Amino acid sequence: MLRRDFLKCSAAGAGMLLAGPRIAFAAPGVLDIFFNSDTNVIDFWTQVVKPGFEAANPGVTMNLVPGGGGSGINTLADRAYAAFQAKKDPQVDMLEAAAPFYPAGSLEAGLWIDFAKAGLSNYDKVNPVVVQSPALLPYRGSQVVLMYNSAVVKEAPSTFAGLVEWIKANPGQFAYARPDLGDSGACFVERALQEVTGQKPELFLPDNYTDDYAKPMFEKLWPLLKDIQPALFNGGEYTSGNTASIQLLASGAVAMTVAWSDMALQAMSQGVVPDTTAVAQLQDLAFTGGFSGVIVPSVAGNKEAALKLADFLISPDIQNRVVTDLGGFPGIKWEFLSKDLQEKFAKVTPKSIPIFPSTWEPVLFEAWYRNVASDLKR
Amino acid sequence: MSATAMSLRSGWRGLAFIAIPVTAIAIFLFYPAALSIIGTLVRPAPGGGYTFSLQSYIFFFTDSYSLANLARTLWTTVVTLVLLIAVNLPIALYMRFTKGRLAAVIQALALFPMFVPGIIICYALIRYMGPNGWLQSLLSLVGFHHYASPHLTPWGPVVGLIWDGMPLTLLILISGLSNVSDASIEAARDVGAGRLRILVSIITPEITHSLLIVSALNFLGIFGQVLMPFMLGPTNPEMMGPFMLRTFSSVRDPLQASTQATITFLICSLAGVAYVRSIARRQREDRT
Repeated sequence: MLRRDFLKCSAAGAGMLLAGPRIAFAAPGVLDIFFNSDTNVIDFWTQVVKPGFEAANPGVTMNLVPGGGGSGINTLADRAYAAFQAKKDPQVDMLEAAAPFYPAGSLEAGLWIDFAKAGLSNYDKVNPVVVQSPALLPYRGSQVVLMYNSAVVKEAPSTFAGLVEWIKANPGQFAYARPDLGDSGACFVERALQEVTGQKPELFLPDNYTDDYAKPMFEKLWPLLKDIQPALFNGGEYTSGNTASIQLLASGAVAMTVAWSDMALQAMSQGVVPDTTAVAQLQDLAFTGGFSGVIVPSVAGNKEAALKLADFLISPDIQNRVVTDLGGFPGIKWEFLSKDLQEKFAKVTPKSIPIFPSTWEPVLFEAWYRNVASDLKR
Repeated sequence: MSATAMSLRSGWRGLAFIAIPVTAIAIFLFYPAALSIIGTLVRPAPGGGYTFSLQSYIFFFTDSYSLANLARTLWTTVVTLVLLIAVNLPIALYMRFTKGRLAAVIQALALFPMFVPGIIICYALIRYMGPNGWLQSLLSLVGFHHYASPHLTPWGPVVGLIWDGMPLTLLILISGLSNVSDASIEAARDVGAGRLRILVSIITPEITHSLLIVSALNFLGIFGQVLMPFMLGPTNPEMMGPFMLRTFSSVRDPLQASTQATITFLICSLAGVAYVRSIARRQREDRT
């Protein structure tokens, strides 16, 4: 997720200084692609996307550049917008894990290509529920899952109520991250909010936040979170991020936590967590998730090649690899993936991936600090 | 050419020399900082124009949550500072009066943290002193089973900040101790002063200046810390650094964040004034 590596973002300025001059000499046939995602994603592109695409399109080279986090990517988007207004080549052909909503007004002005109208041969396969904007092509998703040590937890809870019960029955064995620092923690708080309001994700929309509307719902949330607090890790302590949560699980300090599916699968394949680590998803209403997509400026110098690449990204071949190699969820409908994968992931993946609107988060998180975290007694 | 004209001319040359850094500081530091501070006091009024308002400061000083964070920051700063000096002064004294290989090794060890990025230290400390970490395993090997990890408690950032602040503290204290002449110590010994008397009456007065500088610089460094409290500290109360950052980026309340920053700045500037006065007094003393 974008906010996952909070610290990386703060180093964005320095990253940009390095990235800036390097792309000043864009050549025809060289696609300049900037990444907002972590190194695991860039590795995936280097090892899977790049060789496949370059072999299929002789004469095209992909130049993969780490964009240096959110503000670094924003600076590139600013540059693309400036070039768009000046009708020049921005020397940016694609931004990864970025959104077309920045700079303000750029989407309406036509800076970002509308993929629905771009004639991509695979566009029909894209899962419509994960499309936030036609100018953003979702190609990989991840979802928050329960990550636990199956040597300790014989049967993982399958409902949120069951999870709460488990937490209280096993004091000190569960931890979640502070919501502003790790999105996995945010998703736990948000799922709890959905629980106390009757499991209706449709109550939370990007444009329906008002203090009056939210307050009664938040008031129902605090008792639940305060109730489980004494049974959390260390008598009510919260970790400082997604990685920190996994570290607690790795050291055996807790038996269960919440984690992003891709980070969990990667930790398991790298062996940094015990062999007995497993993941599970709530079956009543899944934890929220998020999708990352690519955007392409309409003035990009290598626009045609960039669109070909976009089409390649959402091809079933690459999407299968997103699941197997990246531990992510596909941007296209599951029915277009291989039969094996459909069967293997049937248990973990619910039919829908609820998305919690980010417009609600600033107030929710601040209120969490004031109502839940400040209640700590030591 | 008269001497006055000469000094005037070299004065101008000196000014020209510092013009670039001073301009850079003014443009990139003072101007945005001033804008931010003024922005907490003067705000656009509804319906045009500007009004003067202390509202954000009143909120801060009447909000128990914000005040608890400020108190936690002061606590962490003072405790870390005291421990830093308590740890480093004996090492510095040892190194002042001992020559040889062991002293060199100790110096290298003490300066080592300077070469390790803070984020690496944080993750290493989590693994080392965290729950079920190495330290706990070692202690339980020797039969101590009541280890409570400082990780995610107020002591977490204290440990991290001591690690981080050691090299600077040690370097300044060593340089301060190098001012103590061997002759004065031997003279004191000749008239029968004991070790404690030498420390209190000969060494301490000579290094008060260094202690003041160490305290002021560390105060500035610790008070505004973000990384250590953020990685190793408890969820609540927060230190001012993470609190400001969270208010700005997560709560998206730039006004309150700059109010917190201004309050932090005012408190830190007290340490800054102490530092500058100490330097100025020193220069006067050196001249006379």
